[in-house]
Amino acid sequence: MSTSVRLETAAVGSLPPLSALSEWSDRHFRWLLVAPAVLLILALSIYPLLFSAWVAFVNYDFQIPGHAFVGLKNFRAVVYDPVARWSLALTAMLSAANVAIELLLGLGLALAMVRNFPGRGLVMSVLIVPLFISPVIVGQAWALLLQRPFGPTNYILSQIVGHDVTISWLSQSPWIYFSLILADVWQWTPFMFVVLLAGLTSIPPNLYEAAELDGVSAWQAFWAITIPFLRPMILLAVTFRLLDAIKLFDTIFIMTSGGPGTKTYTASYYLYTIGFTQFHLSQATAGSWIFLIVTAVVVGLLVRQLLRPEVA
Amino acid sequence: MNERERRDFEAGLSAEVDAWLRGEPTRRTFITRFGQALGMLPLAGGVLGSLTEHALAQAALDLADPTTPLGKAQASALKASTEGPADGSAYRAVQAAKKYKGVTLNMTYESGLQALDPRNFSGPVWEQLTGIKSNVVELSHPDQYSKPIAEHIAQSGAYDVLDIEPAWTPSLADGGVIQPLDELMAKYINQDDLNDYHPLYKALPTYKGKVWGFFDDGDMFALYYRKDIFDDAKLKESYQKKFGKPLQVPKTWEDYTQVAQFITDNMAPQVYGAGHFRKAGSPGNQYDFLQQYRANNGVLFDGNMKAQLNSPAGIKTLENMIAANKASIPGNNELDAVSLWAAFLQGKVAMIYSWPPTGRMAANYSQSAKAINFIPQSSIAGKVGYAIVPGGHPEHATGYNKALAADSSNAEAAYLFMQWVTSPPVSLARVMLPYSLRDPYRLSHFKSDLYRALWPDAKDYLINLNDSANVGLLDMIMPGWQDYALSLDRMCSSVWADTDPKTALQTAAEEWDATTERLGTESQKAFYDEYRKLPGSSADHTVASMGMAVKLD
Repeated sequence: MSTSVRLETAAVGSLPPLSALSEWSDRHFRWLLVAPAVLLILALSIYPLLFSAWVAFVNYDFQIPGHAFVGLKNFRAVVYDPVARWSLALTAMLSAANVAIELLLGLGLALAMVRNFPGRGLVMSVLIVPLFISPVIVGQAWALLLQRPFGPTNYILSQIVGHDVTISWLSQSPWIYFSLILADVWQWTPFMFVVLLAGLTSIPPNLYEAAELDGVSAWQAFWAITIPFLRPMILLAVTFRLLDAIKLFDTIFIMTSGGPGTKTYTASYYLYTIGFTQFHLSQATAGSWIFLIVTAVVVGLLVRQLLRPEVA
Repeated sequence: MNERERRDFEAGLSAEVDAWLRGEPTRRTFITRFGQALGMLPLAGGVLGSLTEHALAQAALDLADPTTPLGKAQASALKASTEGPADGSAYRAVQAAKKYKGVTLNMTYESGLQALDPRNFSGPVWEQLTGIKSNVVELSHPDQYSKPIAEHIAQSGAYDVLDIEPAWTPSLADGGVIQPLDELMAKYINQDDLNDYHPLYKALPTYKGKVWGFFDDGDMFALYYRKDIFDDAKLKESYQKKFGKPLQVPKTWEDYTQVAQFITDNMAPQVYGAGHFRKAGSPGNQYDFLQQYRANNGVLFDGNMKAQLNSPAGIKTLENMIAANKASIPGNNELDAVSLWAAFLQGKVAMIYSWPPTGRMAANYSQSAKAINFIPQSSIAGKVGYAIVPGGHPEHATGYNKALAADSSNAEAAYLFMQWVTSPPVSLARVMLPYSLRDPYRLSHFKSDLYRALWPDAKDYLINLNDSANVGLLDMIMPGWQDYALSLDRMCSSVWADTDPKTALQTAAEEWDATTERLGTESQKAFYDEYRKLPGSSADHTVASMGMAVKLD
């Protein structure tokens, strides 16, 4: 059939008008396909990025008329704002704590679940449920559990330890930080678990068999085989989680509203407050750029590690 | 086309024909279907539009039993809208609005209970009367400020009627987000209906000599206390013995703390002396601090607009608030407004000061509506007394003005809705809705026999709200209020978490100064001077001290 089509086309001699369009689309089809996506990215990413760069250098405050050029004033306002500095430090501390705990727990769970046992599928399903819950709902649930006087946490702890427990989980240091870490770890440990479990199942079992024949202990095998082979997956999981953890906002918004004082202001919450509660858009935009640069440096280092070629 | 290009083209064409014969999708089918999909968009838009409209449509009109006080108030509102008196603001608004039949008004309301009024009552009634539809846009309280600004910057014309805090008026007016109503008011309103506002509320929508809205929610704090506890003979005797004075409803903040501690010492864990919403931002500590600070003769700014928070009055206020926290229910510092209501209604707390719905809930009137069933039934109905808060100067915390969006494409229709919905008969029916959080603000509300018949003590409740307004204090109605308030909330909640009061006051004062400087010290001074002219701007400048107090029987 294709031969006859070719013959008919040749017999016609010259192509009909539509063929010119068809030929053009044939040659540029791949560009036509990507054009909408490129235009969308330009419209929704590049333009706002350039606009935000302009906003960061002008006075774009709803309560102050005009958009006068102010140079680095907005950046200085953020750098010299003690709340901004604290929020950045807290973001680093909470992110590091969250990701480290989630990594350890996720690895432990993955090691426990790597071998088959009756009911494994069901247990795995239950374990990953928190991943599918909105962080706002997670925050609300933990706030209800921890809140005094109505939350059950202190009552249960009192029953366990045999005397009154009167911890203010949501309004007193250092308990507020434990509460925030608890909520985050509960939700995101399953992510680490799933990624690391995939990594563990990809390690060839014959390596462990050979190690066993050589009399290597389980602990030695863990450090000599499991960890080196799992390293790329660990880096991947940590990078992904860290990228998400530094944006921590929802649970803060629900559980503490940044309080008491500004003790639970993360960078995202700080920027939200400046931008959308106080409406100082220039300062919030300048802060966003500073946060973006700091984040890019950290993530860049991690990605470099991730892309480093394996040593044979 | 050269020979190679021709070969490529033919090969491509034949491959495409082969694919077509095999039933596989080809570029041509892709382009065809893409075109069809694009062609479907207008159709889909229409279908989606009608589905969205259906989903967002207001509920069917929900009228109360006509034999109940609420039913009678609703019937009276309908009668005033359709039969007159012909010079009434409600009647005039309805008659003038009929020419806008078919228009849809987009109106912002606080999400949740506040939005049930326009969804279940005022929106459907307005549509029946005028043919004007309403689209209720539910927003969180902070978004009621930020979204209209964002939409104004985008010039989207998304909203027609805005529910805003009176304290936001200067910012939104100067920012061009809302428009003055003077011309429309001159054309349509009955001036007598403006005189029906309590004097504290009458001036709230006025700024720079123009009127920027209709006041619509009397958010006056009041003290709600357990009469049975204060009447307890054993407790009274014990209190007299301990302090050498009778146990009575506290009149000063020091007495309040002392009484709260006494009740806690004698009745906990069954009942605690007091409870407060102290959680950061829920709804905010600024209201309580401001009412106590000003009752302690605290001054907000000096003549050079330097913040005066870090003063003996500031220290005294925070120290007393800390003492009150210690005398309160465990977890006091984590309570938000709703949790505090729950604690009070369950009988766990002897005294709270809060917004007016507290009285309606305590009497179990609010809970007669299904919409409010997340609040527990009151176990203290009939046992609750009403008083002016200790210190004698309660905060009018937030409140609402209805304002006309500057970008509205239906400005006159929107104005007429605002005039109608806040008119005396219609607003009475609205403040009587059990599920709504709109609170009485007109003299006709406070005097209403129908409202007074809602529960046995409703008359005392209304008189107390009126008396509180006579001596009440207003939030700072000036640009930057959001920033000043946030600083106070942060200050208080950091003190609850053990920050030294003096340090916290100093930090807040520095933040206030930074806000003032950023907005312009001279212009802020001018705004502050304007604010100070309002009744309720300070403890020695209230409706009562200006000789305008309203006395009710």
